[in-house]
Amino acid sequence: MRQSIQTIAGLAVLVLFAGPASAQSPPKTGTEEFGLSQRDLVQAIEKVEALIAKCMREQGFTYVPADYATVRSGMTADKSIPGMSDEEFVQKYGWGISTLYDGRPPQLGEGYNPARVGLGPRNVEMYRKLSPADQVAYNRALLGTNLSVTFAVALESEDFSGCGGCTRTAIAQVFKPEQMTATYYNPTDALVHQDPRLKEALRYYALEMRKAGFTLNSPDEAENHIRHRLASITEGGTLTLAAMSPEQRAALKELQTYELRAAKKNRELKVAVFDPLEAKIQRELFAREIK
Amino acid sequence: MTQQRIRVLGGVLGIVAVAALAGWWGFTHVKSPADVAARTAAPTPSAILVPVEERVLSSNVVTRGTARFGLPQPVSIAPSMLKAQPGLITTLPAKNASLREGEVLLRASGRPVFLLEGRTPAYRDLMPGVSGDDVYQLQVALMRLGHFKGAPTGEFDAATGRAVTAWYRGAGFDAFGPTEEQQAQVRVMERELADAEKLRVSTAGAMAGADLGIESARATADHDERVAKSELAAANAERSRVVLDPRQPEAARSAAEAAVLKAEAGVKAARLSGELAVRNAVDAKKSAEIDARLASERADRQTADLKAARLRLGVQLPVDEIVFMPALPVRVQEVTAVVGDAARGPVLTVTDNQLSVDSAVPLESAPFVKVGMSVEISEPALGVNARGTVVRVADGPGTNGVDGYHFYFEVRVDRTSTPLQGYSLRLTIPIQSSKTAVIAVPISAVSLASDGTSRLQVQEGGKLEYVVVKPGLSADGFIEVTPIKGTLKRGQLVVVGYESAAPAGTP
Repeated sequence: MRQSIQTIAGLAVLVLFAGPASAQSPPKTGTEEFGLSQRDLVQAIEKVEALIAKCMREQGFTYVPADYATVRSGMTADKSIPGMSDEEFVQKYGWGISTLYDGRPPQLGEGYNPARVGLGPRNVEMYRKLSPADQVAYNRALLGTNLSVTFAVALESEDFSGCGGCTRTAIAQVFKPEQMTATYYNPTDALVHQDPRLKEALRYYALEMRKAGFTLNSPDEAENHIRHRLASITEGGTLTLAAMSPEQRAALKELQTYELRAAKKNRELKVAVFDPLEAKIQRELFAREIK
Repeated sequence: MTQQRIRVLGGVLGIVAVAALAGWWGFTHVKSPADVAARTAAPTPSAILVPVEERVLSSNVVTRGTARFGLPQPVSIAPSMLKAQPGLITTLPAKNASLREGEVLLRASGRPVFLLEGRTPAYRDLMPGVSGDDVYQLQVALMRLGHFKGAPTGEFDAATGRAVTAWYRGAGFDAFGPTEEQQAQVRVMERELADAEKLRVSTAGAMAGADLGIESARATADHDERVAKSELAAANAERSRVVLDPRQPEAARSAAEAAVLKAEAGVKAARLSGELAVRNAVDAKKSAEIDARLASERADRQTADLKAARLRLGVQLPVDEIVFMPALPVRVQEVTAVVGDAARGPVLTVTDNQLSVDSAVPLESAPFVKVGMSVEISEPALGVNARGTVVRVADGPGTNGVDGYHFYFEVRVDRTSTPLQGYSLRLTIPIQSSKTAVIAVPISAVSLASDGTSRLQVQEGGKLEYVVVKPGLSADGFIEVTPIKGTLKRGQLVVVGYESAAPAGTP
């Protein structure tokens, strides 16, 4: 009997404190890249683009700041080809990193080229009118050594670590130092990834990928792995296909095969495990799914 | 008893539950006015302070350009009259080779083609006796190379020949000597001179003979006239005797008269004949004099020609063995001839060794860029730093391959050991400068007061005070300020803005 009373008293105390506690709001994070709200993202993009233009002007080049819509279109162009579903894209091009590599500067690329889209047509047009020497210097000033990582591409992949040149200089003035690192998780993702079920899913992912022959521990790691391997083969993305040695071409071919297989397996696990689990956790944390 | 306790406890639980609900509602809906005010009030702003600086301000035009060597110039070889046909090219310089004065540009059939500095292109064979600007620049070039001593005269003399010989020998070649044709020509001229000398002697003899002829003619004429006159005198005497002698018949008188008339005619004829002979002799002399003069002149001319021809048998410089370029050294840009080609006409293209940067500025910046302005040349990514000078600004937009919204200009790069050709470079042209260090603050520190004055907010003893300033040159985000009231020193802190706490997650 005494036990029942104690239990009821304990419950009473719990209920007493539950009221105010439940009044606290869920973690406040934005739903856009880097955990930003859409308003903050628009402002950040405008600030970065203006700073890129200023930096390029100091280098003697003209750069027209891309507006939010242009950068956004560059972000959405990543791993996407009009008329092709995500699944079809992965089946045909994997992540589109090594499989669609041509070694040309983004401004001179044709077809699928999210980097070019994110730079905006005016900058692309101006770039094409430059002399070959100026084109090299322009991209070195704008992008540093990694020509495929424009601001839009980096923003989409939430990884500024590969940025260089004026793009990196401008981003560093707007984003926080920890956001510049490759290991940065935006607050929303960090919350989701703290969930034990997701940790378990990541262990499952690593196990399944190992069974398939890939030493990859997370979907994010997979893309970076491909990018780094591609950079080492193509001397930082500066070698055109025609300029590659037979050994480099063979290595690229091997990487493309690897990317296709890894991307297919990754998508399989993503659809089967991660997407439903993340949706569930997000609903629990934020009372809705975050895209 | 137990039931009662349970009911009491249930009642208490119910009250607790109601209290919890009330608490929850209260936490979420009931706010005190102080809470509301605290939530809606703007955060207390804190001033962003930066130090006043002392720096040189300069306003710049920044643009890009690609470095190159000078404009391409074709190198052509002119045909030489000293050679029956051009030689065949046996060696050619490599692309990008740098060629200095006196170096062999190429070889043709074992003969060199030298490179010399000079504005007048090589257009004729140079040999002893020739003079002109081309000879002068040859002498100056040989002087630079250390082979020609003395003052350049513009005449190809023995000293020039010796200098050419030394120059060729120094390069491992023999100087170009007389040709067989030239030697044969000299022999012909020698023969012709000998003939001319003979003619001069003979005509001189003929002239001396003509003098004697005149004297002879004069003497003959005089003699003939005297004879005729004596015959006339005799006839006159006979006529007088016949006329005075009454015994003489009329026929005799007539005969005497006729004899006188005949004698008179004889005198006249002798005089005329003598005059004619003398005149003929004088004419013959004149003719002999002309012949002698012509023969002498011809001989003199032949002598001079032979002397000149003999002089030309010395060292010569065929026109196809020298190339004059306005500025040296040069860099081979393109070799158009191939080994085995005849060494004539254009054989290669060179550029001068002076680096230039082709660039352009937008229309709005063009008026600030002037010839003679100093230019800072850099490329941070490559660690390049050099200086140059604006040497040309286009008269209008859209020239030299730039679009219609830009003005072309050329920058001459000062001597640098860094190979810049082909690289895109940043050009910074200071168009306005404070020249010396001035008190400067960030532009955002200066604000406009309601009375139209410019002012700064300066931290003084922990408090912020306004200082009225006169703004000056603005550049690189800074502006020169001169305090009108109060003082402003380097290191003093001025307000450039106010900081408020940003919401979490905002970059």
